[in-house]
Amino acid sequence: MKLGLDNINKAFESKVRLGIMSVLMVNDEVDFTTLKSLLELTDGNLASHTKNLEELGYIMSKKQFIGRKPNTSFSITEKGRVAFSEHLNALEVFLKNSIKQ
Amino acid sequence: MENKEAFDALSEIRDMMAKSTKVLSLSGLSSVAVGALALLAAFVAGWLLAFDGISQYYKLKLLVAGAVVLFALCLLVVLLFAKHKAAKNNIPFKFDMTSRKMMWYFFLPLVVGGLLCGAVILQGHYGLTSSFMLVFYGLALVNLSGYSFSNIKYLGYAELVLGLVDCVTIQHALLFWSLGFGVFHILYGILFHFLYERKKD
Repeated sequence: MKLGLDNINKAFESKVRLGIMSVLMVNDEVDFTTLKSLLELTDGNLASHTKNLEELGYIMSKKQFIGRKPNTSFSITEKGRVAFSEHLNALEVFLKNSIKQ
Repeated sequence: MENKEAFDALSEIRDMMAKSTKVLSLSGLSSVAVGALALLAAFVAGWLLAFDGISQYYKLKLLVAGAVVLFALCLLVVLLFAKHKAAKNNIPFKFDMTSRKMMWYFFLPLVVGGLLCGAVILQGHYGLTSSFMLVFYGLALVNLSGYSFSNIKYLGYAELVLGLVDCVTIQHALLFWSLGFGVFHILYGILFHFLYERKKD
């Protein structure tokens, strides 16, 4: 029980950040608009969470212009992939233990 | 952390992974409708081929034009059914990154196959047209299945096998075509509908 709790990553406790990481785990690169519509969020809300994950070094962003419109796309970093996998493992351990009890 | 939280987290993860990689609005019933349209078209084509009043050249022109109209009609049917299913089940129906990817991988083999069919007809090898259509359509379906329901690949494999058998068989091209585009679509659509779509209602 204790083991599971220790490895649960606080950064992924928010549903939004969990969603962002899940999408980026299975896609090479996802732009801001797509991410926004998938998670059904407002611009500001998504921006604060992506900024947060970027500061942790879990995701990286790339800004470019498509025509005149600025476009930001995100991808997962190696550190983020490892952290998220560990989080998944911790969830698994937690659930296994809770079934035993 | 509570048990429920962990389960919620897992279902959110699974949901987001599926939604961001797969188009889930394709409907099984549209496959049945497309199959029925194909059978109807094959029936008309068979009647036209047996008709004596007009020249071979003119018949060929009519068949190609008919095929193009049929293709456009089928796309429209699939789109309308998908829109309906999306609205009913609260699935996103948007021209987004996922659907763009799906369409690219579906149309790539289809367009190449279509051009090849055009070339084959121009060179007078009419007998091969149906098998080329089946083979390239099969490849398109297998390709598509990575970006939508993965069981679509079985329909793709069936079309591929049928197309290959067709290309070593002399005659009966229209029969193979009707089997692949008509009967297979209808069977797959019915199976899909009862195995996956009815459960959710």
